[in-house]
Amino acid sequence: MSALAAVAVVESPSSEPAAIAVDGLTTSIRIAGNWYDAVRDVSFTVSRRETLALVGESGCGKSLTALSVMGLLPAGVGRISSGRIVVDGVDMTAATEAGRQAMRGDRIGMIFQEPMTSLNPVLPVGFQIAEALIEHRGMNRRAAQKRALELMELVRIPAAGQRLDAYPHQFSGGMRQRVMIAIALACSPKVLIADEPTTALDVTIQAQVLALLADLQAREGLAVLLITHNLGVVASVADRVMVMYGGDVVESGPVKAFFRRPTHPYSEALLAAMPRVDRPSEALAPIPGQVPTLPDMPSGCRYQSRCPLRIEKCAERPPLNPLPGAPEHRVRCWVRAP
Amino acid sequence: MSARPAAAPLLVVRDLAKTFKAKRGWPVPKTVSVRAIDRVSFTVERGEALGIVGESGCGKSTVARACLRLIAPDAGEVRFDGLDVVAAGPTELRGLRRRLQIVFQDPASALDPRQRIADALGEPIRVHGIAKGREVERAVERLLDEVGLPPSAARRYPHEFSGGQRQRIGIARALALGPDLIFADEPVSALDVSVQAQILVLLDQLRLRRRLAFVFISHDLGVVRHFCQRVLVMYLGRIVEEGPVPAIFEEPLHPYTRLLKASSPVPDPEQAVAMNLQEGEPPSPVNPPPGCHFHPRCPFVMERCRVTAPPLTEVAPGRRVACHLFE
Repeated sequence: MSALAAVAVVESPSSEPAAIAVDGLTTSIRIAGNWYDAVRDVSFTVSRRETLALVGESGCGKSLTALSVMGLLPAGVGRISSGRIVVDGVDMTAATEAGRQAMRGDRIGMIFQEPMTSLNPVLPVGFQIAEALIEHRGMNRRAAQKRALELMELVRIPAAGQRLDAYPHQFSGGMRQRVMIAIALACSPKVLIADEPTTALDVTIQAQVLALLADLQAREGLAVLLITHNLGVVASVADRVMVMYGGDVVESGPVKAFFRRPTHPYSEALLAAMPRVDRPSEALAPIPGQVPTLPDMPSGCRYQSRCPLRIEKCAERPPLNPLPGAPEHRVRCWVRAP
Repeated sequence: MSARPAAAPLLVVRDLAKTFKAKRGWPVPKTVSVRAIDRVSFTVERGEALGIVGESGCGKSTVARACLRLIAPDAGEVRFDGLDVVAAGPTELRGLRRRLQIVFQDPASALDPRQRIADALGEPIRVHGIAKGREVERAVERLLDEVGLPPSAARRYPHEFSGGQRQRIGIARALALGPDLIFADEPVSALDVSVQAQILVLLDQLRLRRRLAFVFISHDLGVVRHFCQRVLVMYLGRIVEEGPVPAIFEEPLHPYTRLLKASSPVPDPEQAVAMNLQEGEPPSPVNPPPGCHFHPRCPFVMERCRVTAPPLTEVAPGRRVACHLFE
């Protein structure tokens, strides 16, 4: 773990402190009265103007990692067992709930998958954007409404002036997600956490929203933590990627290096299981079996039950080792990165 | 289209149309009509997987429902193996139900949570008089085996299975009556990539082994390219392009097909998604633009595109496009 921390510091591209720094995060969830580690010893940093993608399938721990960073773990069911999370200079793990509440929506912008469940259906969208400014910045209503209009223009909602008083159901899915982005950016945060922001959208609308996020990131210098299951989205917008499986980071590195040489057997298998639009169809190679449930997770490498390369040593948990000649590209596998 | 009995397609759909009425607005709701499908024609051969792709509201699911007569089409013709599906009486319809089946996106909502799998699969077999008593159990066991589930699955309830396993059960139920054609409506969209691949491989085995035909509805172009032999692209109720999968994906002609392909993310950072900041909001199916429905988003829009809807024209054998650029 100390080796990890050392690498994490080197990784930060500038002298500016990382906007998000997560060190040794372990998050546990309670199932039938017992606590299980659903995120194990995860460390990463995200700098400003950088996008880090957390990618993996259902239950891999990517969303729990994001919820941990935001301090939104459901009380009594989820808890941070160890580790430290610093966002924009504030230690989230040491902060009180009131302190975390003050961070969310102010210095941390958040977007979720389904904007309809995050927006209030009976309030006009303009008010919902203004609310963040009234709440966190103590703006008066009029100034906040004016700023809300600017934000709606910033996220390119057509005819924004006429739609300040419209309700969420009057917007299409893509436009609702733009409203969510406007709310997330209302207080000019440095950090944006986006959990499957385009998963519910049609592909052409997804492309528009990804373009908007990229544009806003460049303009506002945002540090973006992107949670997604879609490796295609990762390849299009992320700078660095972390692949998670069963709560472990199994591979991490710069996006180009990762897609050029996916090295963990799970990363390799995920890519081989993905039907591609840009190539004639080849035989798909499904990953046999399924992800074990948390109580049934094998000790050691958690992918061993499905891995074709399994050796005896996999009963022990492999470290996240750098690949030879590529210190930023790290893999947790006894066979591929011993 | 004259009848060619020698190589008659399994399913022939001609000029199928359906308009829904909906009440919109508050406090005084107005009745609006949504033309969900607008003169859609296509055929499906035995053992063939035909993909229908398009985004929300393009009418792809309505096509499936109208062909199965889960909803009554307003106009048009659906012939399955020579039988008129739209005009079929109760007895004929019962026979058709055996040969035409559907697999839904979310099998959890299509299965009764309080019904054991043995009953979920055995019920149609009993109702249609395919087997009785002990024979039903054996038929259920064979079905489970065919979709890769152990015999013990029969005693369990739907909630005891994962999403992928539940979709296997949904497929087993569609197979129970030995159909010739399965409408699969986004059958792998709710599944993780690794499980999705398992289901796609299973469906392909079934297609080849049973010479099953599929109408495979999906918003995911990668999945369609992998699974289907031919594809229809729909936009706001109309077919805009049709053809063999290799040709359409190598060289999409309709500007909408091109946009769809360019917008589909590929796991390769050298081929980032074509991201267009300027592009406007997609029109709603409630009030589609006149002429070609795609014209407000089309980079090649011409004057007549705003006025006249282009007909679906054959541009190469088996390849049809509805675009003024290709007339």
